Amino acid sequence: MKLGRREILQGISGRLGVSGAGKAIGLLGPNGAGKSTLILTLLGFHKPASGSARILGFDCHSQSREVKARVGYMPENEAFIADMSAVRFLRIMGELSGLPPRVALEKAHEVLFHVGLGEARYRPLGTYSLGMKQMAKLAQAIIHGPELVILDEPTNGLDPAARGRMLKLIREMKQEHGISVVVCSHLLRDVEEVCDEVVILKDGRVVHHANLEEERRANRRFVELEVSGDDRNFAAALREHGAEGVTEGGGRWRIVLPPEVELDVIWSLVGRENLEVYRLTHRRDSLEEIFLKAVGHIERTAGEAAAKVEEVTADGRL
Amino acid sequence: MAVYRRGYSRYEGALTSQRSRLLVLPRFAWERLMQQRLIVILFVVSMFWPLACAAFVYLSNHMDLLGGFGGGGVQDFMKIDAHFFFTFMNAQATFAIILSAFAGPSLIAPDLANGALQLYFSRPLSRSEYICSRMLVLIGVLSPVTWVPGLLLFFMQSGMAPAAWFTENWKLGAGIFLGFLLWIVLVSLVALASSAYVKWRVVAGALVLGIFFVLAGAAELTNAVLRVEWAAAANPARAMDQIWRWMFGLAPIDGPGVLECSIAIGVMAMLLLFVLERKIRPVEVVS
Repeated sequence: MKLGRREILQGISGRLGVSGAGKAIGLLGPNGAGKSTLILTLLGFHKPASGSARILGFDCHSQSREVKARVGYMPENEAFIADMSAVRFLRIMGELSGLPPRVALEKAHEVLFHVGLGEARYRPLGTYSLGMKQMAKLAQAIIHGPELVILDEPTNGLDPAARGRMLKLIREMKQEHGISVVVCSHLLRDVEEVCDEVVILKDGRVVHHANLEEERRANRRFVELEVSGDDRNFAAALREHGAEGVTEGGGRWRIVLPPEVELDVIWSLVGRENLEVYRLTHRRDSLEEIFLKAVGHIERTAGEAAAKVEEVTADGRL
Repeated sequence: MAVYRRGYSRYEGALTSQRSRLLVLPRFAWERLMQQRLIVILFVVSMFWPLACAAFVYLSNHMDLLGGFGGGGVQDFMKIDAHFFFTFMNAQATFAIILSAFAGPSLIAPDLANGALQLYFSRPLSRSEYICSRMLVLIGVLSPVTWVPGLLLFFMQSGMAPAAWFTENWKLGAGIFLGFLLWIVLVSLVALASSAYVKWRVVAGALVLGIFFVLAGAAELTNAVLRVEWAAAANPARAMDQIWRWMFGLAPIDGPGVLECSIAIGVMAMLLLFVLERKIRPVEVVS
């Protein structure tokens, strides 16, 4: 996929959602990884330079009408008509998707109540808060009862309560209504909460595809260690035992233990290297680790990785 | 069950036909336009001239009502012929420009300004269908002030005049319809392209008027400065005037002929379509 002379997506191949309907797939990647471009290409907004893609069995390019009839799309940026009420806006969107006028009106009311905008449904969309606009965008994406909903950064700009409501609606969509969902986000925590699979993109390529449930089941552990002393040989010592570690500087380490390696190994290595332990925490492999490994931060040299790790802040935002 | 208690359920019933969905956007747009007082006032004002013309047609077929005024000179003046319909069309064409300047910009500019195009195009609606839908809005607004009253006048005259009049002048009816249709398409393209190009309604409205009036001035200026006549073809009103004259069998005015004027109108339409093609996109790509 090229935009101008720049190649945005390259060599992407794979099958998503093969485990059936009602699943959520997270599309992750750093800014500029090509997540939105991939979505827009699948929706037929961009013409791919080569290759093909199918959604629900229909070719995205040659059968884009069939695809669009079955897909709901919630864009990342503001998209509505300011001086139009939410009901009217949704009616138009419903009718354009093929709902008969009367059904579109009924569904507009129904969906607006569903997303929590029932009381504000006659207000012009321009007067809505950011959170309400996000909900209105979600409402237009599901009014026609799509089989697949593509949500581009659905929790962008939402306060914690609204974010929780949005994630609850996404969970309901897949669990109660059997709608498959693609969530494109850079908020790892959101994806972790609602998604069953993740696809991680970097520089326009798929660098990792994981079934989160399986990853959660795998007993790989992630250790955070803080030590003092000369830890220059610690990375090599970890590798001897099949563990991977990266230092963030100042004696702080992030270590991934394979399932067969026990935590005791860390203690013995620390003793061997004459290091003093200030803190050691361990937990199961999280999406953050999967992501860091996928985008290459954990495999790089310690110095590079330390600089890159800073891109992930405490709340999981990239 | 009350809608607020019903909860969400996926619609799995029959869908409307693709063709009928073309009328969704026009239907809502007409409703919105008719809620605007200015549009309604303009609409009403643009009916005055057809009403006056209808009275004229009636009187010309009932000269006895004029009593002592029905002399030879008056009879010539009251004659319903190509000149009469040509004058009618010129007046209504001006109203069409003004109406499109007020109604056209609200069709695309708000969609572009609010990023609504990606919502439209994520549904089974192509870019060409979107443009056709928007054009249908203007065709629907402009038809009642152009070819509809024009044909009503034509048939009114046909009904009142002797049967021979229709057989001798049926080409006028075709000319009214085709001439106005051509004009509506051109005016709509100008309004839609302006609306797509500037995004702000007021500026887009000014641009519509500007294209017609400034181009006319620029064409005259070019003719005067270069001492040529061909520049008149760049004036859309002048070019259309020549085409209508040809359709009605009237003597052409000096300057570019009907072929040159047709080419000029065609080039103009292509340029406007090019603007629409560049601007009506679901996402803007900055290269």
